[in-house]
Amino acid sequence: MPELFPVWLSLRVALLATLLTLAGGLPLAWLLARQRFPGRDLVEAAVVLPLVLPPTVLGYYLLLLIASQGPVGRALGALGVELAFTWRAAVLAACVGSVALLVKAAQAGFESVDARLEQAARTLGRSEWGIFWSITLPLAWRSVVAGTVLAFCRALGDFGITLMVAGNIPGLTQTLPLAIYDHVQSNRMAEANALALLAVAGVTALLMGLGRLARLRF
Amino acid sequence: MLSLAIRKALPGFSLDVAWEAHEKVVALFGPSGAGKTLTLQALAGLVRPDAGRIVVGGRVFFDGARGVNVRPQERHLGYVFQGYALFPHLSVEDNVGYGLRTLAQEARRRRVAEVMERLGLGGQARRHPRELSGGQQQRVALARALAGDPGLLLLDEPLSALDAPLRRQLREDLMQIVGEWGVPTVLVTHDLAEAFQLADRIVIYDQGRVVQAAPKSDLLSRPASEQVARLLGVRNILEGTVLKATPEIIQLRWRGHDLEAINSPARGWLPPPGTRVVFFIRPEYVRLIRKDRQAPDPTHYMNRMEGRVVAQVDQGTTWTLYFAVDGAAPHARESHDLEIEVPRLVHEMLEIGRDHRWAISMHRGSIHVLPQA
Repeated sequence: MPELFPVWLSLRVALLATLLTLAGGLPLAWLLARQRFPGRDLVEAAVVLPLVLPPTVLGYYLLLLIASQGPVGRALGALGVELAFTWRAAVLAACVGSVALLVKAAQAGFESVDARLEQAARTLGRSEWGIFWSITLPLAWRSVVAGTVLAFCRALGDFGITLMVAGNIPGLTQTLPLAIYDHVQSNRMAEANALALLAVAGVTALLMGLGRLARLRF
Repeated sequence: MLSLAIRKALPGFSLDVAWEAHEKVVALFGPSGAGKTLTLQALAGLVRPDAGRIVVGGRVFFDGARGVNVRPQERHLGYVFQGYALFPHLSVEDNVGYGLRTLAQEARRRRVAEVMERLGLGGQARRHPRELSGGQQQRVALARALAGDPGLLLLDEPLSALDAPLRRQLREDLMQIVGEWGVPTVLVTHDLAEAFQLADRIVIYDQGRVVQAAPKSDLLSRPASEQVARLLGVRNILEGTVLKATPEIIQLRWRGHDLEAINSPARGWLPPPGTRVVFFIRPEYVRLIRKDRQAPDPTHYMNRMEGRVVAQVDQGTTWTLYFAVDGAAPHARESHDLEIEVPRLVHEMLEIGRDHRWAISMHRGSIHVLPQA
């Protein structure tokens, strides 16, 4: 029986990362879908970048930023928060790796909502905030849910970025993928098998749930 | 009550229009792509004009010079979109009540029920838009727009999504609803019959400009130009030369015949002899002279001409005759000079189907000489 700490850590990291990704990604997706602003193309490219760059490259730059001598690391250090090589860095890594999946899916969902519905809502006196929650999001929810699940799975499975910024400290920052890697390296195949099966089963169940959800109709 | 003067440049299109209306119902009429919907969107605040001024019921909605631009949320208008734009995920009652957020729940529920009852939507409260017929969807859109007691109702092609028979029925319903609610209305349509039936004033759009704005009674008898006459679907737009003009009449030379038309004293227009002018006569105003009856006196039939029917088309309740007048050189573009419309019964009684030679007459009051563009 393998040590289960990496499972709980991964779940906690992925859940937190998904919540953060939703909080930042949904407004960004809405902006990209509905607003024209200078630098929009740059933002759109930047969002997709984490999908196409090698994770180690991403992790490397991220580490430069949050290391105790990096600009972000120094600022956080002044506040007494340490980021690099903690479980929080794993959350950050999972966010960076998964945000593009959510943003692109949600953006496509928002774009598929007929803009005239929002205009109708405007003439009926509702605020932009109210319109988002009552019209745009409910009509795009399938895409948003799909993006969220994909982002969660990606966050759960991140290896490269996490390894670079959070390290592989057993009992502290060792997530499920890192633990599997460790087990294989140390030739503990039974443990590796158990964790890998757990991961496959969990993610499969999640995707099946998503498929059922997506068939729901109003 | 409503005055609007706006400019808006878009890629490949520019809108530059100004009109006013004091009537209850105004129709913006014109071909697709003339800028009618864009005007409606500017009225509602969904599109910001580059310059100009919009005043509705004494409230300044937009003033480019002073930087005033009231948000759509605060304009308090009812907008019925083309295709209705109903919220597909909300029930009928939630659609109707969508704009009533400021009301307490109980007051909102009562208002929604009242509006739905008045628009004949009783019993539909829990259904969703996709379960409704086109006519019911239109009513939900109207109910949603009217529920908040708007100061102005905007209707964008309200009937274009419907089949022809339903359309006629709903045109009457719509007229009744607009009349009953007494809300000032701006209607966008490319259907002339719709404009005439629903509106008191008609503003004619073409290619981003207003080509005429007039009470509807003036429009058919006094189009401002040949362009307007063509947009109104006027047939028999003809071209002649002035022989003589007085404040009362204009004598014209057309296709080898001398015609006399009434001049508009209000216009006070006296074109010099030799001027090329455009005039028209409506097909139903061309009279066929019956062969079996004598004219009471030689001057009874004005503008008398002879010729023959070169083609005819059955329109159901009427027949359209294509008529070539004698004594004229062959026409350059068409085989006929005039379109004449006769009721089916007349067509049968006079046996026009067999007998193609006729004399016609055009009352001088029916010949409308158009002002020069």
